[in-house]
Amino acid sequence: MSAADDQRAILVEDLVRTYPGGLRAVDGVNLEVAPGEIYGFLGPNGAGKSTTVRILTTLLRPTSGRAWVAGHDVVAEAGAARRVIGVALQEAALDPLMTGRELLRLQGALHGLRRAQASERGDDLLERVELVDAADRRVGTYSGGMRRRLDLALALVQRPRVLFLDEPTTGLDPASRAALWREVRALNADGTTVFLTTQYLEEAEQLAERVGIIDRGRIVAEGTPDELKARVGEPALHVDLVDPAEAERARELLAAHGECSHRRGGGLIVRMSGARAIAPVVRTLDEAGIEVDTVEVETPTLDDVFLAVTGHAATDDPAPEPSLSA
Amino acid sequence: MSATALDRDAAVQARVVAALAARALRSQLRRAQFLLPAFLLPLLLLAVIASGTSAARHLPGFPSTGAYVGFVVGGTLVQGALLAGLTAGIALAADIEGGFFDRLLTAPVQRVSIVLGRISASIALGVAQASLFLAVAFIFGARYQGGVAGVAIAICIAAIAAGGMAGLASAIALRTGSLSLLQNLFPIVFVFLFTAPAFFPRALLGPTLRHIAVFNPLTYVVEGIRGALHASAALGDPWKGLVAATGLLLVTTVLSVLAMRGRLRAL
Repeated sequence: MSAADDQRAILVEDLVRTYPGGLRAVDGVNLEVAPGEIYGFLGPNGAGKSTTVRILTTLLRPTSGRAWVAGHDVVAEAGAARRVIGVALQEAALDPLMTGRELLRLQGALHGLRRAQASERGDDLLERVELVDAADRRVGTYSGGMRRRLDLALALVQRPRVLFLDEPTTGLDPASRAALWREVRALNADGTTVFLTTQYLEEAEQLAERVGIIDRGRIVAEGTPDELKARVGEPALHVDLVDPAEAERARELLAAHGECSHRRGGGLIVRMSGARAIAPVVRTLDEAGIEVDTVEVETPTLDDVFLAVTGHAATDDPAPEPSLSA
Repeated sequence: MSATALDRDAAVQARVVAALAARALRSQLRRAQFLLPAFLLPLLLLAVIASGTSAARHLPGFPSTGAYVGFVVGGTLVQGALLAGLTAGIALAADIEGGFFDRLLTAPVQRVSIVLGRISASIALGVAQASLFLAVAFIFGARYQGGVAGVAIAICIAAIAAGGMAGLASAIALRTGSLSLLQNLFPIVFVFLFTAPAFFPRALLGPTLRHIAVFNPLTYVVEGIRGALHASAALGDPWKGLVAATGLLLVTTVLSVLAMRGRLRAL
């Protein structure tokens, strides 16, 4: 790996994973994640997200291709890679008979911390994820949200440079999901690179600076959420006028700002070339003495992007992912 | 790697083994499904055999160990060791099926430490079991002519045998990853147990069983325990028991490490 490659938090080249039986769960994935970035890996069940994460976290070997995390080859330097990653896998794997505090101390020991250090770090993290009151309760009594927060805390014990979160909010209620998002943003603000897999478009849009959409083992689109949405179509401005009789005059005036057409109820739709065109549209109408009742901007969603690039909705299940137990 | 770095790594791995052993022990002691077979079942069998077959002590050639329970408790120690080891394998298979094993694999620990942690916990559990069984038997009349040293050696042999069985069960768990398979191995424990002179002297076994017993390492384990407890060379040689238990431990530890490597290679 060259010095330039070393600057990347994650680098994946032509990654392929074929399971016994011939299913190509990952089929030539290439991606790069910069240090300090939140990268959203978006796709439906069975798309290859979890298989990719398991390769990047050293739990699976690729059939071909290579991958580096924080400069370490995940196959040839798996031990070094494990020292710099934090992992919260799908379905938080926690021992229900242990308490949260015990699990954090164990995780500290696994990462080479002495007993006192592990206790101190564990206490800090319990506070961070707001589990101090439940720290000495067995994990089996935790709610789904508490288990996810504990799982996140366990992934942070060794202060990872790269944090892998595999569908961290699946099955959580909206409040727990929002709390976890806040924590992910805070971690990222501290400089942690986050690789987040999700099947929730909203989650990718809320958290990720860049999104890779994976479908049937291949990355079919990649970019910032805005870039991806721009590929599907320009934002549209829905304009309702106080006097619908002015609609035709308004349409003629607004034609200079983009493709303009009538909409039901006497309003207009202006397909714009950029968000900055909103103000001129309103100004043009105002200067012409046409009173505007409401203006609404409608932008394409990642749902639209997903549908456009894959031909099916994000919630579809194109192929069952094989059992991933190690 | 420099000598200092090697020492540091060894110290870290020792801490990892201790932490994993503590976790395994805690989990086993908190799970009724493990506690019952490891502690209650051997005591129940001890009670049944000590009361139900005590007439056997009047058979010609039956060695004199005072109360009959003092003779059969050696078998109870071995039974406990086998069950402690088997439950270690069940717990490991549960970790694999439940995903906790993945958490261990993503940590920067030597893979052998994961195996050693599990086996160490079984050895500790073996010490606790053997101490309890000997105390219960003592309450019901068993006397140990070997004294404190004999009791300590017997506990030591039983605990090492528990580690040996844990190694075997862990190897099966790592090879198959199947919790249900491990759970179905309970009857096999009794085949191992009854093809050794666990509750009767070897000389009083039938010819076929006596022949099989020669090849069962548990024969030397149980006889060694009896020899230590009763300070009687006629009952068994404690050193042979120690060697058999240690041999079992070493062989099955190697098997489980190989099974771990095989599992990781197949990922």
